[in-house]
Amino acid sequence: MSQIVFDAVRHGYRTKGRAEMVALSDVNLTVEQGEFVSLLGPSGCGKSTLLYLLGGFVPLQSGRILMEGKPVTGPGPDRGVVFQNFALFPWKTVRQNIAYGLERQGLTAQARTERVQQFIDMVQLRGFEDSFPSQLSGGMRQRVAIARTLAVDPRVLLMDEPFGALDAQTREIMHEELLAIMRRTPMTTIFVTHDVREAVYLSDRVAVMSSRPGRIKEVVTIDLGPRTGPDIMKSAKFNEYVEYLWSQVKTDAVKAMQ
Amino acid sequence: MARLISFFEATGSLFAILLLWYLATRYGTLSEFLLPSPASVLARIADDTASGDLPTSLLLTLRTAGLGFAIAALAGTTLGIAMARIRLVHWFFDPLISLGFPMPKIAFLPVFLLWLGPTAASQITIVAVSAIFPVVVAAFSGAEGVEKTQLWSARSLGASRHGLLWQIVLPAITPQLFTGLQIALPVALVTTIVAEMLTGSDGIGGIMLGAMRFADSAGVFAYIIVIAIAGTLVFRGMERLRARLLRWHPEQSH
Ligand SMILES: Nc1ncnc2c1ncn2[C@@H]1O[C@H](COP(=O)(O)OP(=O)(O)O)[C@@H](O)[C@H]1O
Ligand SMILES: [Mg+2]
Repeated sequence: MSQIVFDAVRHGYRTKGRAEMVALSDVNLTVEQGEFVSLLGPSGCGKSTLLYLLGGFVPLQSGRILMEGKPVTGPGPDRGVVFQNFALFPWKTVRQNIAYGLERQGLTAQARTERVQQFIDMVQLRGFEDSFPSQLSGGMRQRVAIARTLAVDPRVLLMDEPFGALDAQTREIMHEELLAIMRRTPMTTIFVTHDVREAVYLSDRVAVMSSRPGRIKEVVTIDLGPRTGPDIMKSAKFNEYVEYLWSQVKTDAVKAMQ
Repeated sequence: MARLISFFEATGSLFAILLLWYLATRYGTLSEFLLPSPASVLARIADDTASGDLPTSLLLTLRTAGLGFAIAALAGTTLGIAMARIRLVHWFFDPLISLGFPMPKIAFLPVFLLWLGPTAASQITIVAVSAIFPVVVAAFSGAEGVEKTQLWSARSLGASRHGLLWQIVLPAITPQLFTGLQIALPVALVTTIVAEMLTGSDGIGGIMLGAMRFADSAGVFAYIIVIAIAGTLVFRGMERLRARLLRWHPEQSH
């Protein structure tokens, strides 16, 4: 059984006094256990909407979304989410942010403290336990958000342009950290991005989306073997994938700008 | 030493006025009746403190203002959040808030006096009614602006719908809420004094009006100074509380 199934998903936004805007039309996609799948497409093609539907934040209008065989009915800790704007709780310290989900699970204080520390170590934030988000850099904030999400041990990880707000250097560091985390604790991941190189570098498969209305026009399997380091980006194969995907995205990106 | 200098820097104009006041009464042509000297006002404060009259009426005034403010804070926060989250509540209260916000609420005092009599209850009611508007507006705009990804994160981390209110919405709106509360606090004090003057209570407002009737100008000035100091202290306490609760807020630099 596939872990995640999108089956004929359609979604329209209604704004007062305007015709319905069809954001997604007939989206079909299945994701297997342990896969890292990117949703790649120009801004406005419905990537976030698709992720929000799977997250259960936006009610499904038509079609089916199955999570491990069961229809999605609302948000739940089985689907961990990381947003572009981090969505941390600014009034909580790093430690308290990471502990939030664990508190909802009714762990003992002792078990909670240990687990929080374990995830603070994992994202290399030792020494910042008692800092507030406003005192951290963008990269550190996103690491807190990732730790907070992974601490509750979700079945799948949903990331909506998680590194889009970071500078290029920080983004590269975060790519390596994410790959390292995935090596240690492999997890099914859906990763939304409009950055072609990022999609190729991280993914097992890339689903290319086209806009107006949003749909998946092609799914490309990235066969680059285990990611051993950024050197892979210099390989001919890597750059072939990038060129091909870029040519697929470009037509829509140009269309979206008009 | 540096602290002393910065203290005088911050309060210099007050000392200048005090000095002018002293000079005017010492060398000016104003009678003691129109402008009593600082010395006689201070003596009056000391006397009334010793006799217990001043502390009693000050406590009464602070109690009325405090209860009215507390009711405004609780009810205003609840209503503001409810307006942001429940469409029917917004539909009903939005026009009332727009209408009531700029209106001089003290005009309702006669109504409350008719209904409740010249009691503490009618004073507390008018104070709460006057102070609630800035709180509602602050809580509403705060709750409307809570980032939806924060609410979604909490939900996907296991929060219940009900839990969101206490765990996310309330802490998230604290900065705006405090801005509203800091506007509401002086409104509560002003309304208390005016209501006391109009209902003849034993609070500071009532005592001042009594002093005026007996041409006791030292008394009038004494109580003005007392209420000014009390108001400043209460407001400072509020600022401290804000700084403490909003340690996490980037704009909270003091
Ligand atoms: N809440 C909303 N109300 C109306 N239109 C929306 C809303 N959210 C998204 N849209 C529209 O739906 C389309 C897809 O949006 P989104 O899923 O955010 O795309 P992406 O994440 O790929 O940029 C866009 O045209 C956007 O303007
Ligand atoms: Mg998006």
